[in-house]
Amino acid sequence: MRSTTGNTLGPAARGPAEVPAGAHRLAPADLPALASGATLLGSGGGGDVGVPARLLRHALAAGPVPLVAAPALPDDALVVHVGHVGAPDVLAERLVAAEDFVRAVRAVESAVGRRADAVGIIEIGGLNALIPALAATGLGLPVVDGDLMGRALPRVDQLTLAVDGHQATPFAVVDPAGDTVLVTSCAPRAVEPLVRANLAAMGGAAALALHPVTARVLRASGIPGTLTACLRLGETYLAARSAPPAEFAARIGARLLSAARIDEIQPRRGATTGSVTLHDHATGAVVRVDLLDELLAVTVDGETVAATPEIIVAVDPVEHTPVRSDQLRTGRTVLLLRLPALHQWPREAARLVGPAAYGLALAPGAGFRAAGQETPQNPGAPQNPGAPQDPGTPRSPAAPQDPWAPGERGRT
Amino acid sequence: MLKLGIDVGGTNTDAVLIRDSTEGAVLGVTKAPTTADVTGGIVAALRDLRETTGFEPGDIAAVMIGTTHFINALVEGGSLAQTAAIRFGLPATRALPPLVDWPQRLRTAIGGHSFLCHGGHEYDGTEIGPFDEFEFRTVLDKAVQAGATSFAVSSVFSPVNAEFENRAAEIIAEQLPGAPVSLSHEIGRMGLLGRENATIVNAALRDLADHVTTGLTRTVAEAGIGAPVFLSQNDGTLMDIDYARRYPVATFASGPTNSMRGAAFLSRTPSCAVVDVGGTTTDVGILRNGFPREASTDVSVAGVQTNFRMPDVLSIGIGGGSHVAQGADGITVGPESVGYRLTERALVFGGGQLTATDIAVAAGRADIGSAGVIGNSTRVAHLDPSLVEGALARIGARMAETVDRMRISAEPVPVVAVGGGSILVPDDLPGASEVIRPEHFAVANAIGAAIAQAGGEVDRVFSVSPQQREAVLDEARQEAVDRAVAAGARPGTVEIVDIEEVPLAYLPGNATRVRAKAVGELSLGGDRDA
Repeated sequence: MRSTTGNTLGPAARGPAEVPAGAHRLAPADLPALASGATLLGSGGGGDVGVPARLLRHALAAGPVPLVAAPALPDDALVVHVGHVGAPDVLAERLVAAEDFVRAVRAVESAVGRRADAVGIIEIGGLNALIPALAATGLGLPVVDGDLMGRALPRVDQLTLAVDGHQATPFAVVDPAGDTVLVTSCAPRAVEPLVRANLAAMGGAAALALHPVTARVLRASGIPGTLTACLRLGETYLAARSAPPAEFAARIGARLLSAARIDEIQPRRGATTGSVTLHDHATGAVVRVDLLDELLAVTVDGETVAATPEIIVAVDPVEHTPVRSDQLRTGRTVLLLRLPALHQWPREAARLVGPAAYGLALAPGAGFRAAGQETPQNPGAPQNPGAPQDPGTPRSPAAPQDPWAPGERGRT
Repeated sequence: MLKLGIDVGGTNTDAVLIRDSTEGAVLGVTKAPTTADVTGGIVAALRDLRETTGFEPGDIAAVMIGTTHFINALVEGGSLAQTAAIRFGLPATRALPPLVDWPQRLRTAIGGHSFLCHGGHEYDGTEIGPFDEFEFRTVLDKAVQAGATSFAVSSVFSPVNAEFENRAAEIIAEQLPGAPVSLSHEIGRMGLLGRENATIVNAALRDLADHVTTGLTRTVAEAGIGAPVFLSQNDGTLMDIDYARRYPVATFASGPTNSMRGAAFLSRTPSCAVVDVGGTTTDVGILRNGFPREASTDVSVAGVQTNFRMPDVLSIGIGGGSHVAQGADGITVGPESVGYRLTERALVFGGGQLTATDIAVAAGRADIGSAGVIGNSTRVAHLDPSLVEGALARIGARMAETVDRMRISAEPVPVVAVGGGSILVPDDLPGASEVIRPEHFAVANAIGAAIAQAGGEVDRVFSVSPQQREAVLDEARQEAVDRAVAAGARPGTVEIVDIEEVPLAYLPGNATRVRAKAVGELSLGGDRDA
């Protein structure tokens, strides 16, 4: 399976996509908002954005990275998705470089036989919200404003493209030494185990490029506008973070589920979920949070009030700093919040991204709240595809000619 | 048993004499101006303490010193050594070389010598690449030629495997006998950049540490005191003077830690909220069992990001010198302040600015506690009672809100009010079970130093399979206890005060980060081997 690059580029190679004038360009000044928004969308996981944010700040100093909406790309434009896979703790020691992602994209390009026109985001939650922009600086390409998860999720097959039956291959994993593995074909169920098996030989973390798709496919199966939504959420958060808890939650469009002190922590073991038991000061309720890498479900006095794929965030009660699942400590008080989803996963995806995907037996339908049930709407988020469009909030630069108008998408 | 606690602050040097840490009788306190050479203030303070208490130098069992001297030196960028920052990690880590995000001024102050070598380890302890001795010796030559005199060595995953850092230290010792070497695995925890930065800061302070520790030892000896000298560390435990000479960075957070621990000790309330009201700000911290709660986020010191564990402190812009104004939106207090010019600018001292202190005096608060009468109360007699009442209510509400945000449970907590502006803390602070105003609070830092114990900490990645979990945790506990004993604790008294395990995400082999902390009574008077 180990391969050297060397395939010839196909005749369809077209170089960087043309970016419409007036499109947002990601600049160093966007980083605080991008990092904050990404951390919130990490739902307690997704890794520390610190190192990628530093790398990106240096990389963007040489020039901004344009954002492009999928509909603004020609139908046959090639988008290659990139992300960091493996342990965030390894990233914090061994770091990464834009070059690693460039190598991974080049490997995929060599198998496809043509050059990429834009870089796609796999995961808008956690550090992977920043990695594609870093890759884009190295490749000289724009980044597509959208992603394939609408949040952070732990596995590389929990993607809208996978739900819609698109092949992840050819995909490539690359470690900092430049060791490159190119997988040219594999069954959908083998993607995750193959990536993990290679990670073990690569020191536990690697750069990944997968799902080379045309812009036409991405328009039908991607989640639009999530990078802009992430930036807006981050901006709103930074402006609201010093407000009292209830006002803070309202301003970022979240529901405050509980303010509670951590009494007991049952750590996760491998793929077996862990849990945290908390005591709510104000109500006396017993609160349970199930977790793996992300916070998976919040149950208050036996009633599940939030569950994956809904976005659950724990924040510090003082400065409202998000607390990742690995930072929870006995004796700490946290505010538990539910953020509106950036993507309405279809109910058929429950076995992939719902509580059952993690072996949690919760009430049927937990995590799959009907669109519109959530109020108030997240001011930073684009409207859910099935939700009524609020004329007052343009969702993305591409909104007017957006082909996925309500009802046309067939995945509610 | 008598102990001397000394706090060398930027302005004042405080000294206290206490009898035994557990009973905690405070026998004497004094303050002297800090001198540029650090030791002058200590000489004056000890002389004064001896005159007022009549202690015999030979009766002193230990001298504990807390100082902000090293952190101030970094902030000011003075007295720093020319430092070489050498990292093992290539081909990984090349995108962010050592010193990359340092403020230019500090980078220049230490010479800006940054080097990368091949090697380091993976999370499981295997090598990223072999140790290239030729490469390292070449780098070392370059560093020396560039003028570096102190060496900071970091290596990827050195908390898992320190081999490369140790080999580098051996080569430096052989090439440059006596040159100070700081190794990242001995200083910081997981997270390369934060650990490396702490190591570089430590290396840059080594010359100063040599100078200061020598001065401290000599000063104490010249006062006729033969007892061992210890320095306060960030976490409120002690290190002996030789350890401090090698790890000056470990003193960085000792100021706020000592202040809070001292306040809790004076009020005999080991679990409490400490409200420290200064001239410009009010700092609120939380203690559990006598130790400050740690901040969860990384801290940046003088613009350098480190991963030290610092006490969790929340500050609001209200202090004794805060401006008080009646505006269109009601009464405002702070954040503008007359600061240290309180005694010139406040109304009660004949100045023209209405301050929070004037309000407290007008309300008759200045007579309470140990604060004594402040200024001239006739100068504020004209103030509108509704303004006085409104301003006090505003101050009380802000303080109550801050305590409320910091406390960890719904139950009211005891609040210990300290600092020059503590008269602003109302007796009936909402959320407080009681407000305690301890005696001697002005020297809480020195008290905090005097009562400190010896501690040891382990923070490493272990491979924890479910069957071996207890064995691994025991191993970590034992290592923490051993370190506490090595730091000067009496073996029989050492206790584990904190242990936590965090499984690392997405790693095979059950890699788990375990942190254990042990604390014990200082071994004094030759009982170390007991």
